[in-house]
Amino acid sequence: MDAEVAAHADAGGPNRRLRLRVADWPGFAPGQFAMLSAGARGSAQRDDPLLPRPMAVYREHAVPGGSEVEILYKVHGRGTALLADARPGDRVRLLGPLGRPFPDPPAGGRAILVGGGTGIASLYELAARAQGEVLVLLGARSADDLMGRDDFAALGVSLDVASEDGSAGRRGLVTDLLAEALEEGGAPSVYACGPTPMMRAAAELASRASAATWVSLENPMACGFGVCLGCAAPLAGGGFGLVCRDGPVFDAAAIDWENLA
Amino acid sequence: MSASAPINTAVDLGGIALRNPVLTASGTFGYGTEFGPFLDLRRIGGFVAKSLTLEPRHGNLPARIVETPAGMLNAIGLENVGVDAFVREKLPALPDGVPVVASVFGSEPASYAEVCKRLTGVPRVAGLEINASCPHVKSGGIEFGQDPTLLADLVRATRSATNLPLLIKLSPNVTSIAEMARVCEDQGADGISLINTLQALEVDLATRRPALRNVLGGLSGPAIRPVALRMVWQASRAVAIPICGIGGIATAEDALKFLLCGASAVQVGTANYTNPMAAAEVADGIVAWCAANGVARVADLVGTLEVPE
Ligand SMILES: Cc1cc2nc3c(=O)[nH]c(=O)nc-3n(C[C@H](O)[C@H](O)[C@H](O)COP(=O)(O)OP(=O)(O)OC[C@H]3O[C@@H](n4cnc5c(N)ncnc54)[C@H](O)[C@@H]3O)c2cc1C
Ligand SMILES: Cc1cc2nc3c(=O)[nH]c(=O)nc-3n(C[C@H](O)[C@H](O)[C@H](O)COP(=O)(O)O)c2cc1C
Ligand code: FES
Repeated sequence: MDAEVAAHADAGGPNRRLRLRVADWPGFAPGQFAMLSAGARGSAQRDDPLLPRPMAVYREHAVPGGSEVEILYKVHGRGTALLADARPGDRVRLLGPLGRPFPDPPAGGRAILVGGGTGIASLYELAARAQGEVLVLLGARSADDLMGRDDFAALGVSLDVASEDGSAGRRGLVTDLLAEALEEGGAPSVYACGPTPMMRAAAELASRASAATWVSLENPMACGFGVCLGCAAPLAGGGFGLVCRDGPVFDAAAIDWENLA
Repeated sequence: MSASAPINTAVDLGGIALRNPVLTASGTFGYGTEFGPFLDLRRIGGFVAKSLTLEPRHGNLPARIVETPAGMLNAIGLENVGVDAFVREKLPALPDGVPVVASVFGSEPASYAEVCKRLTGVPRVAGLEINASCPHVKSGGIEFGQDPTLLADLVRATRSATNLPLLIKLSPNVTSIAEMARVCEDQGADGISLINTLQALEVDLATRRPALRNVLGGLSGPAIRPVALRMVWQASRAVAIPICGIGGIATAEDALKFLLCGASAVQVGTANYTNPMAAAEVADGIVAWCAANGVARVADLVGTLEVPE
């Protein structure tokens, strides 16, 4: 699918907010992602960098004659640096929405959303659509790095922030916030997305508190639709799940964390 | 030729009749059904399924892939559903009208031959491609395709196991591709596919470790295209059986260069990941190029590279 850049703006520090016009966007569910070409498509075939980049669908907006898909991303390496140069009117290849979404938080229950780094982008729509009580915990290296804080705050959900250098919210790790929130009890469901060590720690904390835990894995991908087998995550019961097709959302108890990375 | 005369795109690949010369490469197109939402399979010449072993296999721990300049490394580790599940579940799910080439993998000539037998006589299987880049267990892991004697044993064993059109997919990790091509022809293969991925290594400087858990991986993508072109050209001068060219093909221009160098057909691999419609666009682009260049029959281009004295 071809998408047209409708707007592209700074979103604090290394983060950027991209709005893409997509003619036949079918809508998405929280946790789904899209494969975006590494940069706008020029008139010549681009061979380098070669592969598209997986990006969570942050949110969608209905506009006359179609939809705008919003992506919140961090300029990280070569592909996202090229993407950052895309200007309104440029064309980007977009394949999506892809993958299996988060299950709906139980109505009337308590949901704790734990986001670290770029994983925060996978959680916004879940927070926006959740019916019951929602607590959002966000973590980043510094205030500069932190994505999406104002957007979550605007949803009116409970929000707590941690940063490793103390420049935003509490000094420490987002999993410290989770440990405290779990002490309050109430059998919450936990939804986590971020670096693997963070998700693993969150899953261990939540399982000790007997909380159902869903994680959205961020494995590198080549195709995004189940044909290269490059994104495979080892499963606790043996074998592999494809992050792009069977995930990116998995029951944390189903993952073989020892062998994931 | 009148400007509106249809271009004849049909080619014969060692007894496999293709409506056009563009197939998709093993391991880059799943079992065919995954592309349903993106691509009408009747627009391509055919597809080669993921390599099959006798038993299902799980494959390697992550990381399995890493991007490299104009390419990528993979070490998937032969993950596949096994030949029986392929025949039972995957083949019937495919739309009609697209020739299916099944790819075969094993650790011994005998296990390759058994997989060939189970695919022979199965409706929808138009031909077999033998993946000779598999390590031979008894010879300490050297690839079948890297040793002329091992390769001859493999071609003989698979040839006697099937009457289907038999393509041998060669490893590029050899000194003389012409010698390996001759071995295939001498042992009765109907055609040759080349190249498979080039053995390679990438390093993660931050962790001081190999980027892939398997340490070594196979390089694919545009980075290998000139190497593949060279090998197709050398092989085509060494044998009379048809050649299927593979390696970094992403556009019609790329595919046409392979035809000039002696390939009767081509396979699109890694480009399927960056653009799921790539193979169909290559097929359409070949027609457009022929129309613009007064070529009535695609097969007439094969081996027409003009090499100055
Ligand atoms: C399902 C999914 C959803 C995602 N959603 C978002 C999102 O909404 N916003 C966002 O900013 N990012 C998201 N990411 C991560 C994003 O895909 C990577 O940051 C991006 O591919 C990096 O590309 P690059 O070209 O900038 O870096 P590269 O030049 O490709 O890589 C730079 C370095 O980072 C490493 N690296 C690359 N990708 C990853 C990865 N996924 N995990 C760990 N290390 C990696 C590389 O090995 C390399 O060392 C998501 C990933 C997945 C799988
Ligand atoms: C992720 C991946 C998996 C592959 N799996 C197989 C396979 O199972 N069998 C096989 O014969 N070739 C396999 N290949 C090799 C391709 O079929 C092809 O020969 C190679 O990638 C070169 O072509 P390309 O540059 O167009 O990708 C694989 C390639 C990739 C990138
Ligand atoms: S990214 Fe290719 S199979 Fe998941």
